[in-house]
Amino acid sequence: MTIFPSTALSRLFLAATLSALLALFSGAPAQTADPAPNPASLGEEVVQARVREVAKTLRCAVCQSESLWDSNATLAVQMREIIRERVVQGESPDEIRAYFVSRYGDFILLKPRNRLLWVGPFFLLFVGAVSLYIALRRWVARTARGGSEALPPLDERSRRRIEEELRVHEK
Amino acid sequence: MIRLWHVVLMAGLLGLLALFYQGLWGNPTYIPPVLIGAAAPNFAGPDLDTGEVLSLDRFKGKVVVVNFWASWCVECKLEHPSLLEINKRFGRDPNFVMLGVNYQDKIELARGYLQEHGNSFRHIQDPDGKISIDYGVYGVPETFVIDQKGMIRHKQIGPIIGAAYTNLVENIIQPLLRGESVSAS
Repeated sequence: MTIFPSTALSRLFLAATLSALLALFSGAPAQTADPAPNPASLGEEVVQARVREVAKTLRCAVCQSESLWDSNATLAVQMREIIRERVVQGESPDEIRAYFVSRYGDFILLKPRNRLLWVGPFFLLFVGAVSLYIALRRWVARTARGGSEALPPLDERSRRRIEEELRVHEK
Repeated sequence: MIRLWHVVLMAGLLGLLALFYQGLWGNPTYIPPVLIGAAAPNFAGPDLDTGEVLSLDRFKGKVVVVNFWASWCVECKLEHPSLLEINKRFGRDPNFVMLGVNYQDKIELARGYLQEHGNSFRHIQDPDGKISIDYGVYGVPETFVIDQKGMIRHKQIGPIIGAAYTNLVENIIQPLLRGESVSAS
């Protein structure tokens, strides 16, 4: 006996549920294109905030499910330093992200760029709801019709018997 | 009664399940390379031994093998004899250069490593990780082969041993040195 099928199945459900949850609860990508700032005027706080904004949206390549901002891996620390230098040089968050994508591919982005992935689950939910509504309406209509038409008309003998028994009961 | 849309729906659901199932396996830490076929980013850094600044520019027009390694990396030790072997085989060719880039390491440890395991080519320090990140490196060892035109033609993730060694030598380095094109891999 092997326990493979049941573990595989539970992993499957876990993966399905997790991806559904992820799809539902991750917010839409908030990517704002900043106007090119004057490098000299950037205060430490602004730099820090920009580094954070970019690093939060990039994946730590050597961790799992951790952003560059949250990780203390050496690679993440070095990548943050590169983000920082580019911010100080006046690059916009989108330009910095584009640099990392050009080196590590889409993998480095924590949020998928494919719109379908964001809209898909809600679209499927809508399609499901509409299908359910239509199916329920048809079902209700069919049973309602069936309720009155399926019974044969009452014959004279049965009618008398019902009246007889009703009378007995009422006494 | 089975209708067409039932079949379509079931097929769709099964397709989705198949995708989920596929996602359960494979190596989650693998990052598909994107730089193959792109121009090799230039880099410059101090030589590990002499401190003299070495840059890729200097080797323009040659086939350059760039190996990212670290003294703490176990798989690098595994492939080290292969690196020496490759340099022994092709090092005399004026069109061939082998370079090491030392990744997330300490200079003394890196020097000690080379003393212990032998060395026949030059290595560049990358203390702030700029070169490595510019090459999309996320672990060591990783090895890139750059052709005479300065384009990245091959990336090897993991040690150059066994089939990876044969492939690198026979399907990448030798054809490139003969001036033939290789299919990106």
